[in-house]
Amino acid sequence: MSETLPILKIGDTLLVALQGDLDDAAVVRIEEQLTQEVARVHAAGVLIDVSGLTVVDSFIARVLARVVAMIRLLGAQTVVVGISPAVAITLVELGVPMGHLDTALNAEQGLALLRRLRAAADHGSDR
Amino acid sequence: MSDDGTRLRVLEAVATLVSDGIATLDPQGVVVGWNAAATELTGYEADEVIGRSVSLLYTEEDTARDLLATELDGSRGSGRFETEGVRVRKDGSRFRAAVVVAPLTGADGELTGFVKVLRDVTSRRADEAMFNALLESAPDAMVIVDPDGRITLVNRQAEIMFGYHREELVGQTIEVLVPQRLRGRHVHHRDGFFAAAQVRPMGVDLDLFGVRKDGSELPVEISLSPLDTDRGRQVCAAIRDVTERREQAERLRRQRDEIMELSTPVIQVWDRVLALPIIGTLDSGRAARLTEALLEKIGELQAEVVILDISGVPTVDTLVAQHLLKTVQAATLMGASSILSGVRPETAQAIVHLGIDLGRLRSRNTLREALQLALQIVRDRSSAMSEAAADVAGAAW
Repeated sequence: MSETLPILKIGDTLLVALQGDLDDAAVVRIEEQLTQEVARVHAAGVLIDVSGLTVVDSFIARVLARVVAMIRLLGAQTVVVGISPAVAITLVELGVPMGHLDTALNAEQGLALLRRLRAAADHGSDR
Repeated sequence: MSDDGTRLRVLEAVATLVSDGIATLDPQGVVVGWNAAATELTGYEADEVIGRSVSLLYTEEDTARDLLATELDGSRGSGRFETEGVRVRKDGSRFRAAVVVAPLTGADGELTGFVKVLRDVTSRRADEAMFNALLESAPDAMVIVDPDGRITLVNRQAEIMFGYHREELVGQTIEVLVPQRLRGRHVHHRDGFFAAAQVRPMGVDLDLFGVRKDGSELPVEISLSPLDTDRGRQVCAAIRDVTERREQAERLRRQRDEIMELSTPVIQVWDRVLALPIIGTLDSGRAARLTEALLEKIGELQAEVVILDISGVPTVDTLVAQHLLKTVQAATLMGASSILSGVRPETAQAIVHLGIDLGRLRSRNTLREALQLALQIVRDRSSAMSEAAADVAGAAW
């Protein structure tokens, strides 16, 4: 994991691709940089791609849950994309609670889902 | 106990207690003492033999070659003489005896006589004969190995199975029957077994192989048992040729795979819509395969909606519901929505009565209704997608 997290901005949406192994230091960096960036650009949505992660386990799942909660407090929605079949099965078998995560198959569908989530949030209903 | 008379009385007292035949002899081999076990063994009462030469137990041949002198001289020379041979009972029947002769000396060191211990080993011989007969008649190839891994005994089946004569095998290390590529590891395992020997099958869950004299290999199953013998610990390996069984197992596995394949079809019913008709009972193995097949297809076809049709599932209990929920959760993680279809009234009742929480899972009575819902979802999503694309395009310009 490099020192700075590459965050792309398209419109009011941020795109982040997490890669390699995540250690505690990397997790802290992600949380700091992502929250600061969301607040700085007043982002409405964040798309997190996890397909580049070496392992996705319960630790990563907890990290994602924390990041999503932080971003929600800043008034934005998050969608996670790039979960492979193997990872999906592992997470379900481990019993990792993932119900709070909004997921999509790819970036394109992820953007569409973000849009729907935002519309739902604007109308005050839940999804 | 310095008094010879006392010593003799002690000796006689001891002699009445043991189960071996004990005769005390004078320096010329004439019987002076005869215990009960000796009577039991030979049929001679004590008063019949006392005063006569112990050579009355010998066969004619042994008498002719003066075995008595050999036994007594041998015992005097080394302090102990051991032999095994045929002896004759009073009734003329013969038995096989293990014999130990030791000299007796007085307080001043001069020879006062001998003590001779006789043990009937006929039954041991019979045991050995039975052991050999058992070994030869066993349906498995049997190979007995000493702690150095050298073969000490093989049976007929082993000769047939491996294509060797037994003379070629005895004295060789057991690795001669192990394929070259596995030999190094085998030596290591073999040492381990001798260190902590117990009856057990060898290489549980491993596919084991033996190699014939002509170099061809055969799949085998091996059961090991330690044998504690007078030559030290040996290991008996019972080897079974499982060529046929392995082939059968392989065939069975292939058939099961085919059936699995047939029983978990994932059908693309529309663009980005998959249907998974589940027919029959859903156990954990099948549920895992089903989930795997479904997720692969979701990735491959970029599907957005999955219809799980359970009209073919006879009963939905807690376990089946758990499997279904796991499948739905995994599909959701990949970004696909799930719709349950084919829920019959009795299934709906059962699910609610069992207190199964299917969460936010959408459900329809028929596949038709489920497909309508699926298409609705796809339409909503694609319009959201084009709007999102427009947003992105707008931002980029």
